[in-house]
Amino acid sequence: MIKRLGIVWAMCCVVWASCTQQRQPCLTPKIASLILETMHITNDTGTIFSDTALPAAVFLPLSGGSYDSLIFPLGSVFTISLSPDSNVCRWVVETDTTSHIFDTLTFRYKANLQFLSNACGYTDFYSLDTVQTTHKFIDSVHIVNSSVTNNVNTKHVQVYIHPDI
Amino acid sequence: MSTPSMYRYIYILIFSVLIVCCAHTGYAQVNGNTVTGYTAPADTLVVDTTGTTDSNKQIKKTDLASHQLAIGIDIVNPITNALVSDHYGYEFEMDYYKHNEFYLVAEGGWGGSNVSYSDLKYTTTNPFLRLGFNKTMLVRDNPKDWDMMLIGLRLGYAHINHSLTNYIITDSTWGNTSGFINSKPIDAVWLEVTGGMRVEFVKNFFAGWNIRGKFMMDGKSFANDAPLFIAGYGKGDKNAVFDFNLYISYAIRWDRKKSPAAAKSKNSALQK
Repeated sequence: MIKRLGIVWAMCCVVWASCTQQRQPCLTPKIASLILETMHITNDTGTIFSDTALPAAVFLPLSGGSYDSLIFPLGSVFTISLSPDSNVCRWVVETDTTSHIFDTLTFRYKANLQFLSNACGYTDFYSLDTVQTTHKFIDSVHIVNSSVTNNVNTKHVQVYIHPDI
Repeated sequence: MSTPSMYRYIYILIFSVLIVCCAHTGYAQVNGNTVTGYTAPADTLVVDTTGTTDSNKQIKKTDLASHQLAIGIDIVNPITNALVSDHYGYEFEMDYYKHNEFYLVAEGGWGGSNVSYSDLKYTTTNPFLRLGFNKTMLVRDNPKDWDMMLIGLRLGYAHINHSLTNYIITDSTWGNTSGFINSKPIDAVWLEVTGGMRVEFVKNFFAGWNIRGKFMMDGKSFANDAPLFIAGYGKGDKNAVFDFNLYISYAIRWDRKKSPAAAKSKNSALQK
C-alpha cells in the first residue's frame, strides 16, 4: 500500500514539475560593456589619482547608431558599448554638459560572436586592439584589459585627464 | 584534459562511489541472513549442517529467480509534451535480470526542441541511447518477488541534428544586428547516476519511478550553440541536470535451467 502511495505521490510531483515556464529569464547582461575609468595626473608630483570624477560627462556615439548621448552623473567610471557592425567606432566625450570641450576616442577591435544561453541568446564580445584620442582635455589613454565581455566588473580603459584641467 | 574537466570527473566518481557505498550499507542492514558477522548476499542460502547457529558452512546456491526481460515506456514525457511547446521527447527502457539482483539496462528514445524566440530561432532533433545497470537494494521475499528499490549507472549518448540558427542582437546604442549560424550535428555523451523503485502491481506489469543525476562529459563542446533540450539528457546548456522518469513496464519471464537440487530449493523457498 505504501509503495502504491509512493507512486501516486511521484506522479503528482511530475505533473507539477512539468508546469514550468517556457523561456528562462536572462539573468546576465546581454551587451558587452566597455568600462572606462577617468584618472588624473597632477603637475607637481606625478601622482595618479584614480578617482577623478567628471561632473556630468557626456558620451556621444559616432559612426552610426542612435546618436543619443549618454549623460552620466558625477563619477569616474563610465560604461559604453562598441559597434558590432564594424571593427572601429568613435565616441565623442565632454567632461560637462556645459564645458564645450570635446575629445574623440577611437576604438579598434575585433568582434567575436558569443552564445550566452538559450535564455539570453547571442551577443558580441570584443578584443580591443588600440584606443586613440584627441587631446583637448584627455592626456592619454591606456588599455588595461583588452577582453570586452559582459562582465561588468572589469575595467578596460584608463583615460588620463590632462593635468591642467 | 583540462583541470575543470578533471575535477568534474573526480566529483562524479566520488558521488557514484558514495551512492554505491550507501546502497551496500542499506542492503546489509536489511539482510537478516547473518552468521558470525558474515552477511549473506540475497542469492546465497546459508545451511546449518550441524544444527547450531554458529556454523560457517555455506552452500552457494544457484539463483532461484527466473530469467526476466522487462520492457517499459516512460509516461512523464508524454505529459510534458502536452504541457510545453518548445521541446518534446519519448523514452523507452528495457532491462534484463542477470543474476545477484543485477540488471542490465538499455534505454532509448528520441525527441527535439523548437526554439522560436524573438531573438533566437532554431530546431534540434536527436535520438539517444543509454546503457548501464541497476542493482536492487531490496531483499526478495521469495523468488517470484520482483519488486525492487534500485540504484544504477548509465552512460548516455545522443546525436543531435542542429538546424540553422537565426539570431538578433539587440543594442539600443548601435541598433540591432542579425545573422545566422549554419546547421551542424553535435554529439553528446553523459554519465548518469540513478535511483528509484519499481513494483509489480499486476502480474507481469510494473510501475516505478527513477530520479537521475546527469553529468555532461566534455560540456565545452556546447559552448557556442548549446541546444535548448537534448532528449534523454535535458537542458543542453547545463553541465549537470536532474531528471525524473515514471515507467510502466511489462515483464517476460522464463525459467532457468537448473539442477534437481536447485529446483528442490526453489520449491521449499516458495512454500515459505
